[in-house]
Order: sequence, then structure tokens, then C-alpha cells
Amino acid sequence: MRRLTTIGVFIGAGLLAAGCSAGSGSGSQGSGSGGGKSTSSSVLTISNENGATWTCAFSPFNGSDTLVSVGFVYEPLVYVNPLQNGATTPMLATAWNWAPDDKSLTFTIRDGVKFNDGTPMTAADVVFTFNMLKKYSALDLNGIWSVLTGVSQTGSNQVTMTFGAPAVPYFYYLADQTPIVPEHIWSKVSNPVNFTNPNPVGTGPYAVNPCTKDNITYTANKYYWQQGEPHIKKVEYPAFLTNDAANQELANGQAQWGAQYIPSIQSYYSAKSPDYHYWFPPTVNVSIVPNLTDPQLSNVKVREAMSYAIDRGQVSNIGETGYEPAANQTGIVTPTFNSWLDNSALASWGNAYDPAKATTMLQSAGYHKGPDGIMVNSAGKKLSFTVINIGGYSDWVASMQVIQQELKAVGIQVTPSNLTNTAFDQALYYGHYQLAYYDQQTFGPGPYYELTNWLYSPNTAPVGKQAATNYERYSNSHPAGLIRSYAATTDSAQQHSIVSQLEQVMLSQVPIIPVVEGVDWYQYDTGSFTGWPTSSDPYAQPPAWAYPDNEQVLLHLQPK
Amino acid sequence: MRYALRRTGFFLLTLWAALTLNFLLPRLMPGNPALAMLSKFHGELSPKAINALDILFGVNTRQSLLSQYGSYLHQVVTGNFGTSLAYYPASVSSEIGGAIWWTLGLVGITTILAFILGTGLGIVSAWRRGGRLDSLMPPVFVIASAVPYFLVGMVLLLIFGITLHWFPQGFGFYVSTDKPGLNLTFFQDVVNHAFLPGMSLLITTIGTWILTMRNTMITTLAEDYVRMARAKGLPGRRIMLDYAARNAVLPNLTGFAMSLGFVVSGAILIEDVFNYPGIGHMLLYAVQGEDYPLMQGLFLLITVAVLVAILIADLLTAFLDPRTRAAR
Repeated sequence: MRRLTTIGVFIGAGLLAAGCSAGSGSGSQGSGSGGGKSTSSSVLTISNENGATWTCAFSPFNGSDTLVSVGFVYEPLVYVNPLQNGATTPMLATAWNWAPDDKSLTFTIRDGVKFNDGTPMTAADVVFTFNMLKKYSALDLNGIWSVLTGVSQTGSNQVTMTFGAPAVPYFYYLADQTPIVPEHIWSKVSNPVNFTNPNPVGTGPYAVNPCTKDNITYTANKYYWQQGEPHIKKVEYPAFLTNDAANQELANGQAQWGAQYIPSIQSYYSAKSPDYHYWFPPTVNVSIVPNLTDPQLSNVKVREAMSYAIDRGQVSNIGETGYEPAANQTGIVTPTFNSWLDNSALASWGNAYDPAKATTMLQSAGYHKGPDGIMVNSAGKKLSFTVINIGGYSDWVASMQVIQQELKAVGIQVTPSNLTNTAFDQALYYGHYQLAYYDQQTFGPGPYYELTNWLYSPNTAPVGKQAATNYERYSNSHPAGLIRSYAATTDSAQQHSIVSQLEQVMLSQVPIIPVVEGVDWYQYDTGSFTGWPTSSDPYAQPPAWAYPDNEQVLLHLQPK
Repeated sequence: MRYALRRTGFFLLTLWAALTLNFLLPRLMPGNPALAMLSKFHGELSPKAINALDILFGVNTRQSLLSQYGSYLHQVVTGNFGTSLAYYPASVSSEIGGAIWWTLGLVGITTILAFILGTGLGIVSAWRRGGRLDSLMPPVFVIASAVPYFLVGMVLLLIFGITLHWFPQGFGFYVSTDKPGLNLTFFQDVVNHAFLPGMSLLITTIGTWILTMRNTMITTLAEDYVRMARAKGLPGRRIMLDYAARNAVLPNLTGFAMSLGFVVSGAILIEDVFNYPGIGHMLLYAVQGEDYPLMQGLFLLITVAVLVAILIADLLTAFLDPRTRAAR
């Protein structure tokens, strides 16, 4: 007991000493945290763990700077909402149309838009931006020049893009994912690839003013083309090094817009104030990805049995504490893409947890239970696999434990191997694995984007070579043809029919096994601001890192 | 003199070995910077970006290991470490330059304070052996130094930061309301923010200084020359400081020089707990991002600082204690 008291006295004495110096100092003492208590209620603070201090570089074509530059300072031609099947909002372009052969696309550029240095934005800036990406392929993050053949100005305010083949789905990357930069600044940069762009000039609602390693302050762009916007004149974006610090800012109300994974979110966050809300919209599937070059996994019956043997609801509840909902074998993320889901096909497949069916299926494939309870075939080959997983994602590790038990019940043994991010990616891209637990990297305005990445054979590569997508090494010309025909139609009914056929491929071939649906973490505080995206009004993808969706959120928000 | 030369020679050899290890170890990690960048932006960058990133980082235009080693040694000599990949396109020196002051301030001052306070308390508790201070201090600080410092940090943060709101919960200063500058407000702000992390380090490191000082002091107090001083009737204070402590402080001084070397490596976990923008967190981030240039810069800085500190400690001991010289 005596020892404890001494520590107390020791600390107490220290605190007194420090209290003296602090008390006489800054007036913000006691307000809590580094983000600082907003002195005016109209300052919005964003909480999103960055993992490092800011570099104060704002090149919209540099992977590490896009999330602080695009949407705040730079704008796209058109906003395409991925949560509403690609609903469009005209931004720097007022109109656009595809030529009948879908091989050329013409944008009409908005008049009266100015960059934040007061110079007008014209069609020449748009043409310059696209041609700069052609010249410097290190800046072409979406590989748009793999389909583009040319971009040129037509008339006074029109820009025409031409393609080698029909490229309708690329509209998302061209119109929404490519920010427009001013020619009068970037044409003078000798090497745009390593241009830090410390004072970004763009057409967006905000300008950087100022940036330090610890915090970016955005203030309203006085030249902004939308009258009266933005309503929030100042946005603070502190550099959070860790998840805990970022979560703490949200819980104590210092930050109002969160993109954070918060464990036990009810008690830690939403219970603290009636104004604290969260919404986790599903975007992609988290799937078991079999390596189809493995002799046993190349058997569709084995993969189908695995799909039936996994109780997805259980994985969602235990592994993901219910935050990420169960997925289904069609590969359509629900409810986000509900309109694309072929319910009758899914019902006839019987998307249910059915271990008995899984066992029958394995028996019909020539497997019987061995003495250790693991299925074995006549050649003595056991259904025993290693599954690679990312060790840093504790939810995925927990999910895999559930999956492991469920598969064991039908006689399939999986042994998890928890790797670092980079080691995992390396194994996946080069095909050096048996099973992998993984979510698709690309999210687009429709299920086409994710399904293409899994099912388009030309994108795969033999084991030992890096595959661009299609890591399971699935080779089938039927879905590849479907995917190409989707690119050649702007007709929604036709697109839906193509996606239904792709769902059939997912159900009959089981190239991957979707387990749960990955979600966007998103928290919002209605105490000081209104107009947030919600599940009933999903006008934009809500996390602060999602660009250019962040701009839509910033334009919708109003101080209370 | 010969001793000093030998020490310096040994220093150069160790430095070369350490430099080579610095070069090799990061390259034994799986993956490459482009993959690491893609993982960092999990879900935000399309896989197509890997092509762009490969070109950007020059991953596919791979040099041979030997020529990389050559340009690495050249960088070491010229002090130019190129461009960081995780903080692309910032230069390594500017990133380190931005973070090092926070670490030097926090960990450096804490180390010095811990040494001065710990040594002082050690002297006094040995001098008043069996007294109140002596029966309290050593057991308390043995326990305190056995507790991991980040745990102390978390407890302090919970009590004084989150519950009582006496101190800020993270960052180096109020990032949105205060702007860095040479003024009193900013200084107080920084001290206020550094208090909890500094305290966590102090509480857990001070014990070692107290214990070693107390123990060597007790041995020294039993020496004949101390008894002689007592017999001469010198004042207690003078015996304590000039006769006993002066000789007993040698091991502590060596330890102190070494821990000063380690200051530049930061305190990774404390910086993590308190969202402190120092070197420790940067090192972690560089490793996660497979940022070879930044890792090399940081490891080199740490290695050189530690080796120089050891060299100074060696030379200092030789200067202060003639016996170490005579033995050669």
C-alpha cells in the first residue's frame, strides 16, 4: 500500500508543477485534444487515420495525396455516385454523350468556372489534363490510356475522347476519377511526376490555407462556381497517426466526420450523444479466393461444397461483430446493388448454409471421410489447404477461425497463414497460395466493376507472373465475352441482362466464394452539421477518403 | 592516445558493418514499395494503379544489388538520402528533419531528467541507507521500471487525459488553433502536450538510474578513502558528493552516454499512444511502407548516434578513470 501512495505523491507533485505552467498558458487548456476545440461551430473536423504526418503535397495524381487534394481542391467532370448505380451530377461538364458506336465520348465544358487563383477554367485545361496523363504514365492511376486513343478540343467548349474499342464502363474513370488541373500551372512544371504542388490551384470548393505536418486547414474558395457554396467555410484535417487517437477525437466530439473502424461502436461512440450516428454501406465482397491451378481446387464440386459449408451469418456475427453483413454466391453486393440481383437464380441455387449438401457433393466428387475426419479421395489426396490471410486485420483473422471450424465439420481442413499486407499481396498477385481471404480492391458504380476484376480472363497471368486482377486464375471465354459486350452498350436493360449472366457464372462455376460484404466505415455528428449522407439518402460514398464523393458531402453539409 | 586510436578504429569497423546490415535487412523483406503503397490505400486505388506506381518508384527497372550498394554508400557519405517512398515525393532529409525535433525534445529531455533525478536520488538513498527514502524508493522503482512504458502511458492518458481532462490527449500541440513559432504560448502548448508522454518515460526509466547509482555508491562508501575522509572530520556533504558520488557515478555516466545515443530512435510505442509526431512512429511507418530510402536514413541516424555515444562514453571513462587506461 505504501508503494502505491508514493507513486501517487510523485505523480501528483509533477502534475502540480505542469499544471502551473499550463494554466497560465494557452486558453485552450483542458479542452481535450490536439484537434483543438472548434472555437466556431462552423468548423468541420475530419477524423480519418492517416498513419503518418502529412507531406503537404497536393498532387491529385499521386496515390498518397489524392485523398487530401481531390474533392477539396480539384473536381472531376461529372460526379458518378457508386452507391446509386452511377447516378450522375454534372460538375465541370454540363453535358456528355456517347457516339452510336460507343467509341467516342463528347463532354460539354461548363462556362464561368474559375480556378481558385481567379483564372477561368476552359476546355483547354481538360484536354491538357488528359494529355498530361498520357505523357506521364506514372500519373495515370486508373490506366485510362489503356483504352483511350485521343483527347482533343472540338468547338469552343467541347472535349472529345476517342477509344480503340467500346468503352462505356470507363466513363466512371474518365468523368469521375480524373480531376482537372490548370494548364497555366502544370504546363510550367518540369516533371509533374514528382511535383509536390504545395499550393494547389483547382476549381474545387476549398483552398489549402495553410498545411502543416500535423494538420491541413481548408478554407472556402471565394471563386467557387456554385453560388453560396460551400456553407462550411473552414475544414480541419488533422494527421492521425493511430486508430485510437482518431477514434478518441470522434468520441469526445472534437471531430464530426469519421471514417474509422471503432470496436464496440455502440458503447464507445453512439451511446455518448444522441447526435452521434454511423452508417456502414456495403461496397465489396470479402471472399475466399481459391487458386484454380491447384489440382483439387480446380474441381468445381469442391468449391461448391465449400460455399455451402460456410454459415455466412455466423461469420458476420462472430468474425465481424455484425458490422459486415453476409454475402451471397452471385457476387452482387446487397443492398447497395439490389437492382442487379437475380433473385430467382439465387433461389434456385439455394443460397443457404447446407453442410449436408456439401458432404453429398464431396462424396459425389469421389471423396470419403478419412480416419481423422478429413475428406480424402481414392488417390489418398486429402482436402487440406493453407489459407493466406492478412494478419493485421483482426476481424479477418477472427472470421477465418469461424470458417475453419465450419469447413472442418464437412471434412475440409484449412490452416490459416497470417501474413503482412505486402507479403499477402505478393503471394496473391503471383499466385503462390492455395486459398486466400480477400476483398476486391476496386469499387465502381455497379457490380460490373467487381465482377470484371474476378471473371475477365485476359487480366490473369500464369502462376509466377503478376496478375493485374483475376488472382484466382480463372480462365473462361464466356464471361470474358459478356464483359466485352457490357462495355459496348449504354442500355441499362441490356447491362442488367449481362450482369445476370455473370451471376450465373458465379453460381455454376464458383470461381470465388463470397463470404461477407466489406463496408465503408463512416461516423457523423448531427449536433453541429446537417445534410449528411445516410442509408435513406445515399447521395455519395460517405467516408472522407472517398474522392470525389467527399466534395458532394462537403457541398451538402450545412452548419446547424 | 593509443587507446583512443584503437577505440576509433573499432568504431569505424562497427560503423561499416552496421551500414551494410542497414542496407541488406530492408531488402530481405517480402514485397516492394509499390505493393505496400497499394495495401496502404486498400480499396481506394485500383489494381491498375500498380502499373503507375511501378513506374513511379522504378521497381521494375531494378538495379543490381551491388550497384544499389554503391549508390547507398555514396548517399551515406554525401548525406543525401533521396526521396521517401511512403511520403512521396518529400525528401528523406526533410521528413526526418521535421520529426527529429519532437523526438529530441520529448525523449532527450526525459532522458536527461531521468538521469539527473535518478542519480541524485540514488546518491541520497545510499548515503542515508536504511532511511525512509531508501526503504521506499528502490522497491517502488524496481516495480515501475518493470512495467512497460506504453502501459504507463495508456493509464496516464486514461486518467489525466480522457477522464480528468487535465492534459491533452495527443499530438505535439494544438494543431488547429496554435501555429508553431518561437513564442511563449506555443512553448507552453508544447510542454503541456509533452507532459504525459514524458512522464510515462520518466516513471519507467528513472528506476534503473536510482538502483545502479545506489548500489555502486554503497560499495564506494565502504572504501578506505571514504573512511579516511570521515576520520579527517570532513563535512558529510563533501564526503557524499566529492569522495563517494564522484567515483560511483562512472557506470551511470557510461549508461547515460549510451541512452543519449538511443534518444534519436524515439519511443515508438509512446509516440503511438499519444499520436506524437516523432521519429519512432516514422520508423514504424517506413517499415510498413517498405520505404527503403527512409528506413536507411533512419537506421543510419540511429546507428551513428549510438556508436558515437558509445565512443564518447569510452573516451570519457578513460579520461575520468585512469585505471581503464593503465590496463592497456
